[in-house]
Amino acid sequence: MIRYLRMFRAFAASEFQFEMEYRGNFYLSIFEMFLVIGTSIGAVLIMFGHTTTMNGWTLPEMIVLLGVYYLIQGGVNLVFSPSFERLMEHVRVGTLDFHLLKPVNVQFLVSTRHLRVVRAADLVLGLVVVIVGLLQVGAQIGVAQSLLFALSLFFGVMLVYSLLLGLVTLSFWFVRVENLLAIFWAFTEAGRFPVDVYPLWLRVSLSTIVPIGIAVTAPANAIAGRMDAVGVALLGAGTVLAVGIASALWRRGLKSYTGASA
Amino acid sequence: MIRIYRQLLVAQIQAAAQYRIQAVLWMLFSIIRPVIFLAAWTAVSAAQGGSVGGYTTSDFAAYYIALTIVGHLTTAWNSFEFEFEVRQGKLSPKLLRPLHPLHYSVVENLIWKVTTFLPLMLVCLVIALTFQVRWSGEWWHLALFVPSIVLAAALSFMIGWVVATATFWLQRINTVNTLLQRTSFIFAGQIAPLSLMPTALQVVSYSLPFAYVLAIPAEILRGGVTLERGLLYLVGQAVWLGLSIVAFRFAWRAGLREYSAVGA
Repeated sequence: MIRYLRMFRAFAASEFQFEMEYRGNFYLSIFEMFLVIGTSIGAVLIMFGHTTTMNGWTLPEMIVLLGVYYLIQGGVNLVFSPSFERLMEHVRVGTLDFHLLKPVNVQFLVSTRHLRVVRAADLVLGLVVVIVGLLQVGAQIGVAQSLLFALSLFFGVMLVYSLLLGLVTLSFWFVRVENLLAIFWAFTEAGRFPVDVYPLWLRVSLSTIVPIGIAVTAPANAIAGRMDAVGVALLGAGTVLAVGIASALWRRGLKSYTGASA
Repeated sequence: MIRIYRQLLVAQIQAAAQYRIQAVLWMLFSIIRPVIFLAAWTAVSAAQGGSVGGYTTSDFAAYYIALTIVGHLTTAWNSFEFEFEVRQGKLSPKLLRPLHPLHYSVVENLIWKVTTFLPLMLVCLVIALTFQVRWSGEWWHLALFVPSIVLAAALSFMIGWVVATATFWLQRINTVNTLLQRTSFIFAGQIAPLSLMPTALQVVSYSLPFAYVLAIPAEILRGGVTLERGLLYLVGQAVWLGLSIVAFRFAWRAGLREYSAVGA
């Protein structure tokens, strides 16, 4: 475990150095993020200019939800999506061979090898938005509630991870899966509102096929005190199941990988 | 010119036929955002007893379905491709051809919209059934919509090209694109129909070109404008289109002088 953490730190350090070579681009990305989050908050403010609640969600709770949305997106975009992008390339070109030869867990390696360090700014900004929202909610937030929030946030990220892993694994059989990923990203935008806002068919597809709905709404619910320990435990069980299925699929996929020169 | 276009059309149809599934998948991007905001406004409207600022729940549905159709028909993705072409030096051979690169892009754009229109309408039908839409327009709204959407598509296309020329100076225009998209997100009527925006933002919206691409044709299609107002909007669209063409010609000429043909 310690060895893997240390490895992850090495990956992060090397990617950070790489990213700092393009310093201008780095700062511009951060500026873009401010723009995106600022306008998203603006959108919520405009809507709440006409109402005080939306499906039982108040304005501060919506701000928290938006913060969680950017936290999860940031987490996924920081580690998993850049790594998976490279993985698809490796499978297509055949260079996955080099990864397979290394004496580590391959799933760990392909999921975390590449980072887009600048996306850590999303995490920070998302956290700031969550905190601002919480201050507005004004309620006393206890240790238990914070713990439930942190847990459900972690489960949310892992849910999205298992879905991404599953989609990327398909590249062993169908070489081009970028389009599937594009659909996935298109759907993630729906996470900016609580999942209960959507009509049934969309809710079903959001929460089952694209778990972003659950991933974003659950932590926001937990911090607003609308989700108890049982709910979080259920979410945890679901996440373990999802990661298990995705890993099994990954191992199946790896077996049918034929390598570069084969 | 017509002969050239006919040839280009045939070539593009053949090219497009190779990527049918991909074309339909990209269509999802036109659909998802309006549906998200439609769902949110439906919830707001429900919380307010069925109507917000003169918009009933079914008006919202009509507006956002109209916005989906307009958004799809006005999509322009030139700046993304153009940046790539400049950086890879792929623009150079295109410049040697007797036809301006813009024309290839026009045809490509048209074909994609035509081929994906039918699946788009099917999806819109599903959304319409889910959200109990009611169309409250007159026949002349439809007549007015035709020139309006043509102007809007041309305007959006030209804005895309003006932005694309920024590549000549900046090489990478990610940030410029994000800036453009987020401005359009706020001011083009994606978040809310323009009349529901705070007054100050409405003023800005009507003075920027973005609403003339999305919100205005959508309001016309929904049947939410008077005839006089509709005609006034068309004039506004035409003015912006004229300005964007002038801006493009100017920027293109200046930009080409700056172009260093990377990789050539």
